Amino acid sequence: MRLQRNLILAAFALGVVLPLLLRDEYLMHIGVLIMFSIMLATSFNLIVGYVGEFPLGQTAFFGIGAYTAALLSLKFGAPAYVTIPAGGILGGVFGLLIGSITLRLRGPFFVIVTLCFAEVLQLIANNWIALTNGPMGLSGVPKPQWIESQDVLGQKTSFYYIGLLMAAVTLHLAYRFVNSNVGRAAIAMRENRLVAQSVGIWPFYFGLLTFIIAAILCGFAGAFYAHYISFVGPEVFDFSVMASMIIMVLVGGKGTLIGPVFGAILVVLLEEYLRDFKELRLSIFGLVVVAIVIFLPRGLMGFVRRQKLYKPK
Amino acid sequence: MDLLLQLLANGLVNGTFYALSALGLTLVFGLMRVVNFAHGEMYVIGGLLGWALTGVVGLDFFTSLAVVVFGMGVAGWLIDRVLVSRVRDQDEEVGLLLMIGLSIFLANSALLVFGTTPRRVLSPFPTKPFFLGPVVVTQSRLFVVALCAALIVAAHLLIQKTALGQAMRATFQDAMAARLAGIRTEGIYGFTFGLGTALAGAAGTLLGSIYVAEPTNGGLISLKAFVVVILGGLGSFAGAITGGLILGVTEALWGGFVSTNSVDAIGFALVIVMLLVRPYGLFSKRGERP
Amino acid sequence: MLLRTILIGAASAMLISAAQAQAPTVKIGLIQPLTGSVADDGTADVNGEKLAVEERNTRGGVLGRQIELAIEDGQCKPAISVNAAEKLIQRDKVVALSGAFCSSATLAVMPVAENNKLPLITGVSSNPQLTEKGNHWFFRADENDALLAKAFAKILTQQMHLKKVAYVAVNDDFGRGAVDQFEKAMTELGATTAMKEYFEHGTTDFYTLLAKLKASGADGVFMATETQDGSIFVKQKAEFGLDLKVFGVGSWATDDFITLAGSASEGIYAAVPYAYTMTTPENKAFVETYKARYKGSPGEYSVAGYNVINILVDAIARAGSTEGEKIREALTKTDFVGPNGRFEFDGKGQAYGFSVVLVQITKGIPMVAASATIEP
Repeated sequence: MRLQRNLILAAFALGVVLPLLLRDEYLMHIGVLIMFSIMLATSFNLIVGYVGEFPLGQTAFFGIGAYTAALLSLKFGAPAYVTIPAGGILGGVFGLLIGSITLRLRGPFFVIVTLCFAEVLQLIANNWIALTNGPMGLSGVPKPQWIESQDVLGQKTSFYYIGLLMAAVTLHLAYRFVNSNVGRAAIAMRENRLVAQSVGIWPFYFGLLTFIIAAILCGFAGAFYAHYISFVGPEVFDFSVMASMIIMVLVGGKGTLIGPVFGAILVVLLEEYLRDFKELRLSIFGLVVVAIVIFLPRGLMGFVRRQKLYKPK
Repeated sequence: MDLLLQLLANGLVNGTFYALSALGLTLVFGLMRVVNFAHGEMYVIGGLLGWALTGVVGLDFFTSLAVVVFGMGVAGWLIDRVLVSRVRDQDEEVGLLLMIGLSIFLANSALLVFGTTPRRVLSPFPTKPFFLGPVVVTQSRLFVVALCAALIVAAHLLIQKTALGQAMRATFQDAMAARLAGIRTEGIYGFTFGLGTALAGAAGTLLGSIYVAEPTNGGLISLKAFVVVILGGLGSFAGAITGGLILGVTEALWGGFVSTNSVDAIGFALVIVMLLVRPYGLFSKRGERP
Repeated sequence: MLLRTILIGAASAMLISAAQAQAPTVKIGLIQPLTGSVADDGTADVNGEKLAVEERNTRGGVLGRQIELAIEDGQCKPAISVNAAEKLIQRDKVVALSGAFCSSATLAVMPVAENNKLPLITGVSSNPQLTEKGNHWFFRADENDALLAKAFAKILTQQMHLKKVAYVAVNDDFGRGAVDQFEKAMTELGATTAMKEYFEHGTTDFYTLLAKLKASGADGVFMATETQDGSIFVKQKAEFGLDLKVFGVGSWATDDFITLAGSASEGIYAAVPYAYTMTTPENKAFVETYKARYKGSPGEYSVAGYNVINILVDAIARAGSTEGEKIREALTKTDFVGPNGRFEFDGKGQAYGFSVVLVQITKGIPMVAASATIEP
């Protein structure tokens, strides 16, 4: 744990300093993507790593957060410091609704049913024209005034710092959660459900709580995304976002705090680097995933841990 | 009344297709507990291969179908031996991730090789309208429905009446006991995966003669197949057939009487309801999982 | 002394030739769908743009430099197109953008162009909203659905004796927008709406839709779809034995569609901004060059790409610089004659002066049945 905490703090420090060294808009753009990927990956990791279930419909909350922020700021003129928390809260509400239905199931059933919910939400977003403008989406989501007035580099850097802050808050919340009673209960559930039950832990209740927290974090990320890209359409519910989340967590190592951070950085960089290969890009991506699953099933952090365990005294 | 009959006919035809397409998945999912995300891609490749064999190489339909079934079966067996076997003893999500990676790779490679133009598998039957009373079908549709049914029956006989099928059923019931009884479960897994892939590929070829074969369809095919499997129950043939027919008819009726663009949502809504009411599906024989 | 002179001379010669060899190209960024269900059409657009660039480069390029295209796959998806735009602007340092094909993707890229002070031109996006956003960096070098509907609704209603019209379209910004515009125009002319249905991109089975269509009693169906979906629909319509007049917007007059749809394409009326059968001298030359290069007749997407590049390069030459604001300024003064007519831009960035045609597909050839000019 100590190693992880120090690594995270070091990464945070690096993150703060980086923009001052690299005054490049494109790199800042990548930085923003990394920040909000960290948020998504961490939220996904909470459920996969600490509850032991695989919510393939996690994008639902991301999408909810994005649409909430877009609608609130476009229709009511709400500023960012209202829309982002609102995105999180609404994500949490949906987390409660969906979680209370789906957490009664386990294994592949849980996987499929959460996916079904995400797909239904996408279909609604695509067809409820009056609310969401359907496939035309909601465009022109405003950036905060103090950002709008800067030049492009300044704008991107500002978003980067906001993202860094939000990612830090996300990681901190995750850290507190894991080390709290709720977190310990969740880990107990993951390790052995029956024993956990016998010590008085109610799997359903703790699972639901974890699910809601993860949903709130995803909602924050979605709202942030809405203000950065300034366009929200039904494709926020796309499975491709989900696939990225899965890969980030499993590559970095589930069940650790820093795993998702590494995973997020790696995957975003990989996706951007692979752009140069154009059509081959996604094929290579798929191959990379298969390779990692076969050779590094515990992800990078798992690999590191194993090294430490087998180091001769 | 005419509209209703037509919609029912459409639904039954589609339902049979769904049933065949889900059959391979229910075997793999039920027997091996592998969430085969690449199922849709195997269907797609089956369709594209079928086009290549009938349209480019010029083989007749039945030979092409046989080649596809055999080829895909071998490919599936290989995938299991080389990839899936390595992650079998780990958590389920590792297998899931493997299949997701595989599906991304397959879908995009198919796109690279075959391009985006939708292709048609050449059917030996004409596509002119064929009237059964007020209902329109085409001869090629009826032909494909018949073939689907034949394949389903063949697979059923394989599982129920052969020694191999018996070994599969034993492994399905209890893998440890099957091993104790001398069954080589590793081989069974490979065969099952191969069978699942072959069925998916066959469905792709058959349906590619009526609709189109294109590389981008995979995801939706997988999802619909999952819907059918959950409706009908893991590992159950009768379930796949019933689930398929229910999905087909419900979609047709909803599309016809309500709206066509939200048709996909019906399947998902059915799944959600099903999982709340009867999580193990209509026909599952397994009891509660601890 | 002599040695020193020789060395200096040699060094200078090398420097000069190096400088010339490395004269930077003028980069134009393309965001088009190269994968996904409109990939065929997106690729056709890129082909048109490449052809234009080749022609221009043989004539000396622009501002004494060669023109280079930086192409990114926007997949017709807004978020991905925005990402592509960012990369093109920051990494490739393009001087202008062409894209992003689908109206929703273009809509998402418009603020990026404005923010970075770079002109954005589309040759394809047809949703009227785009030119109503007050974005001065955006130009539309094609028709929008409202103008198309206005131009042809009358002819269609009269020609085809339409009283009850069914509307079928792909469920995206293009499909819905087109249906809105045409329904409005045709209803004003007295036609009633028998049915209005949408289907998802990539739908393979239209039988339910066709059953409803049959039951609706319509005497004509208006369609807004792209090549892949449209060809499947008309083939199944023939299978279904439904003998309704079809007219629509989209890629109906392209070679790709006619080849895919086969005999089912016979008799379809299409309102398109271009058909290779148009008889202007510019078009004859264009069709010949295109056929020689790509072996197939050009369709509306190819000509869109071709026009966009020519308009952009003209503007850069007129501006005498690659600075965003100067190019934008020059674009407002565009006066370009392309294969389908003359292009000028109005105050909102909407092009006018070019022709659009109503074709009827007869024996696999889109014959021009009527033509109209887009007024400002």
